[in-house]
Amino acid sequence: MDFSPTEYTEEQKAFAREVGEWLDANIPADMVFPRDPVNMTPEQFKMRKELGRKVGQKGWLFPGFPVKYGGGGLDAAHTAIIRQEASKRKVSLPPYHSPGGHLGAAAIMACATEEQKLLHLPPIFRDGAATWELFTEPEAGSDEANQQTNAIQAVREDDYFIINGGKIFVGGLYPPPDRMLLLTRSDLNAPRHENLAMFMAPGDLPGITITPLDLFVPSPFGGVSGPTAGSADGVKYQVFFDDVKIHQRYLIGGDRDGWKAATATLEVEHGGGDDDETGNRRMTAALFNDTQPSFIVRRFLDQCKNNPDIAARIRENPPLLESIIDIYIDAQKERFFSLRNAGGQGGRYGGVHSQLFSKMASIRLIAAMAKVLGPYTMTSDEEWASEEGLFEVGQRGALCLAPTGTPEVLKIVLSRALAIGR
Amino acid sequence: MALDLKLNESEEMLRKVALDFIRRDAPNQIVRELLETDTGYTEELWQKAVDMGWLGIIIPEQYGGAENPLTSAGVLFEVLGSAPLPGPYFSSGILGSSILLEAGSQDQKQAVLPQVVEGKTILSLALTEPAYSWEPAAIQTRAADKNGHFILNGIKLFTLEAGAATHFIVAARTGPEAGGQEGISLFLVDAQSEGISVRGLPGFMSGQTFEVKLDSVKVPDSALLGEPGGGWPALQRAIDRSIPVLCAYKVGACQALLEMSLEYSRIRIQFGQPIGRFQRVQDLIIEMIDHLDAARWATYECLWKLDTGRPAKESIHLAKAISSQAYWDVCTLALRVFSGISYSREHPVSFHTRESRRLYNYLGEPTFHRQKLARFIMEE
Repeated sequence: MDFSPTEYTEEQKAFAREVGEWLDANIPADMVFPRDPVNMTPEQFKMRKELGRKVGQKGWLFPGFPVKYGGGGLDAAHTAIIRQEASKRKVSLPPYHSPGGHLGAAAIMACATEEQKLLHLPPIFRDGAATWELFTEPEAGSDEANQQTNAIQAVREDDYFIINGGKIFVGGLYPPPDRMLLLTRSDLNAPRHENLAMFMAPGDLPGITITPLDLFVPSPFGGVSGPTAGSADGVKYQVFFDDVKIHQRYLIGGDRDGWKAATATLEVEHGGGDDDETGNRRMTAALFNDTQPSFIVRRFLDQCKNNPDIAARIRENPPLLESIIDIYIDAQKERFFSLRNAGGQGGRYGGVHSQLFSKMASIRLIAAMAKVLGPYTMTSDEEWASEEGLFEVGQRGALCLAPTGTPEVLKIVLSRALAIGR
Repeated sequence: MALDLKLNESEEMLRKVALDFIRRDAPNQIVRELLETDTGYTEELWQKAVDMGWLGIIIPEQYGGAENPLTSAGVLFEVLGSAPLPGPYFSSGILGSSILLEAGSQDQKQAVLPQVVEGKTILSLALTEPAYSWEPAAIQTRAADKNGHFILNGIKLFTLEAGAATHFIVAARTGPEAGGQEGISLFLVDAQSEGISVRGLPGFMSGQTFEVKLDSVKVPDSALLGEPGGGWPALQRAIDRSIPVLCAYKVGACQALLEMSLEYSRIRIQFGQPIGRFQRVQDLIIEMIDHLDAARWATYECLWKLDTGRPAKESIHLAKAISSQAYWDVCTLALRVFSGISYSREHPVSFHTRESRRLYNYLGEPTFHRQKLARFIMEE
């Protein structure tokens, strides 16, 4: 066995320098890096979109995908290098919220015709189109295939589908998105799983209404607990479709291929792929043996060690030290699971197991932060918040468990992978 | 150099041979019988282990051993833990040998280690006492220097494999009566020496856990391992190197418990369906994976660090804290999956449960290692 980090080759070192220098030259000096993405101004959001477009032109936005679709045609190591260099500069790629990119790409690559790939992918990969994911409905939460009980219907009208209904808990920032990855029901009478259609459609079609939800949770914990929180969503929307016409060319695959496409995205969401949104970027990082606990855990431990008031509190109250050790061990376990997956030892269950464990660990982490650091973790006040509000947004983010599947859903998926579930 | 978590060819071969041995020579019925004995082995089994070179797996070639890396020992003990195979394989072949290697003189190593490799000498560490602790301050056994020999007096409690041992490695104070690690010496003591009495401790951990009384036991100066009063650092280094191998034994045990629980949850029908369909049962299985995989990779990363000369102290504490708790908890979870049938002394879950409790505190309970970890977290 060898746990040593994969070392860059000379060529990879040179590539890392090239990427780093390019990013230094192109990340605007006045770009801000908010702990909570809702604090990003429209101007800052536009700045990030423009940076994404430039990165896309280099082929670095989705570097692992073929060049003909607007990707970079690069291998996993070079893809990891680009992500690492961007992360060092507090941006992830894309530098804005765009789940339809990684997730939509999985669906498109799995189901779309060549013509559809050439239509859908280059705008996202090369031109920096921001995409939202519109799957969840009031009656289709954990049961994603249960689209028939809501209002969405897709009925053929010549070359168009007419969409009616509504989506909920759609993450995004500054609507409308450039593209929507949209799951709909396409047949009222077909059996479950054979009655769905997936689209990658423009986000500004007539008849679409987008309304923000007033939620206390921000983006999920993985999105807001790291140094690149500015790339997270932060706001959830309801999206209503009122006789919206979508041309059939925006279909992914055929009009009964929706569940197959959704399954491809869920595979990524549940940890089978490598996607920023799900926190699995750590799996890629593990290839280069990113052996440190996560960003927020490191900041927490730094506070415990270096903040004299906190250190004194811990000395006076030994049970607090037990909480800190628990968090440290949890963080190490997360690291081991990332290594396991990166080393190809996770089997069918590794991805979803890591994701489940991380979600549960985040719940334990915020409880420990509250015990040890006290109410400082609950305020984003400029003067009094710890770590510029990182812990406050983390407190809320760790409760945002539903995206990519609640822990209970992940357990069902994991049990299937272990061949004991239904 | 790159991340590679697969076993290499020789480790795969070792694993296969060990698995064949367990399947052929140590099925459940044999393990059950061995667990009830004072020694934990039969002559036949012991000789087979000797013939395969397992007692000398980490001992240098110059002393007749195979001089394998610790990771190989981990692979072997993972398989032994799956049975779980009792007996002084770890006590003698790993821990005892490591203490000799760290503390013994060249002559002592030359005299003892080949005998360990051949299985003729069986070592057992006699360290902990009624004031149970893995810290040096708890050692009160005295070794009085009588010009040419020492007289040992004290009680060693929860001594593993004492019933099988031909020799004890005894930690005793030759220096100040109380204090830290200064003044602690190590002695290689013939188990048949006059004044030694060994008594098996009944109860949950019956078999292979003992009280060892030292009543004016006379040992020659040549029994002293290393410098008088300077035994603790060598002992600690040996314990550090041995811990991840013991952890691997627990990993193998957890793996076996997971596999049998998965299988049982697929075939045990209640309420008209396999119990694995019930989410409450699935929760138990998932919790087992949390424990098992954390223990596995904490252990093997630690072994890799030791084999490659990297700083490993933090990893040792981490691996021990995680794996001891893992074995304990995975047994409890398996008992919940199997329920009544696993209470039988003939059921492998019961073997493991007993072993998990017997080994929980050995070489430091999780609390002990967590406190050591705290030093790394808060100070370094």
